[in-house]
Amino acid sequence: MTIGSQVKQSLANLKSIHATLQSLALKSVDEQAQRTFHEAMLTTEEVIDHLKQRVSQLEREEPQYKGK
Amino acid sequence: MPAWLEVAIRSVCILIGLFIITKFLGKKQLSKLSFFEYIVGITIGDIAGTMSMDGNIRLAEGITSILIWSLFPIAISFISLKSKKFRDFVEGNSTVFIKNGKVLEENLKKEKYTIDELLEQLRKKDVFRLADVEFATLEANGDLSILLKRDKQPLTVGDVVGNVPSEKEPQTVVMDGAILDEPLATAGLNRGWLKNELDKIGVAIENVFLAQVDAYGQLTVDLYDDKIQVPEPQEKKLLLAAMKKTQADFELFALQTNHEEAKQAYEMNAKKMESLITKLEPLLKA
Repeated sequence: MTIGSQVKQSLANLKSIHATLQSLALKSVDEQAQRTFHEAMLTTEEVIDHLKQRVSQLEREEPQYKGK
Repeated sequence: MPAWLEVAIRSVCILIGLFIITKFLGKKQLSKLSFFEYIVGITIGDIAGTMSMDGNIRLAEGITSILIWSLFPIAISFISLKSKKFRDFVEGNSTVFIKNGKVLEENLKKEKYTIDELLEQLRKKDVFRLADVEFATLEANGDLSILLKRDKQPLTVGDVVGNVPSEKEPQTVVMDGAILDEPLATAGLNRGWLKNELDKIGVAIENVFLAQVDAYGQLTVDLYDDKIQVPEPQEKKLLLAAMKKTQADFELFALQTNHEEAKQAYEMNAKKMESLITKLEPLLKA
């Protein structure tokens, strides 16, 4: 497995974390919990953005592994 | 009219009347019965019993008596609500027995409490050493309330973990296979969601004896068919695990890459994930 695909896997994981956090933020009854989940969601968005950049960078470096 | 019929009619009427009166007296009377309220209760019962059996007593007289006996406590509790002074007079005050860890002998004497009785009350509350008590007071209803010294108090969650998420009550959304719409709405959910969740764990609604939703929207069910194993909700555990894995991945990437800029970015993201994990862990483990 190339580093490119590993990073992509992490990106997918992060997206799933993001979605779960979002659904928890919606489903929680307690406001404090809602806010915490929401903030966490925003943080993961930042991380996702960075990771996306990194993925395109890697794809430029190793065009043969350009993702499906 | 035959005598038995009269007794029957009287009894039924009085039963209904008494039922209404007890509803008016409220729940408080059940839990915190003072001596006065106890006597009032017995007397009302006695009057009602005599009234239903004894044909010589006229119904109007009996009803007057019952009304006075039952309205008086209601009036007293109503005035008690309004006036603090009246309340203190009627319901009595609490007496402090132990303050700053020292027994107040004067107050013991005032309440005619011997030290043996005080020790007995303390033992009933699992306190065997007087030295462990910071503060104790005899409540108006005769109970002893105890505040233990700080280092003798039982450990609470707040002592161990900081920033504990507040606990919200779970809602019961299915009872005896029937969906309860009101609690479902209180939890901010609907029937479609419930059906979806039940499908996820592969259970038919007819088979659900009881289902509850916790404050994080997780569904737990009890089935009629106890042979079926129901999976526990995994969402939060999986989320925590996924976050830990991603954090570890970032650290790995940071080690593997030779690209200086990427290395720093990975390290920063690993830190971000780590702080996220510490922030969410109390919520996700709850």
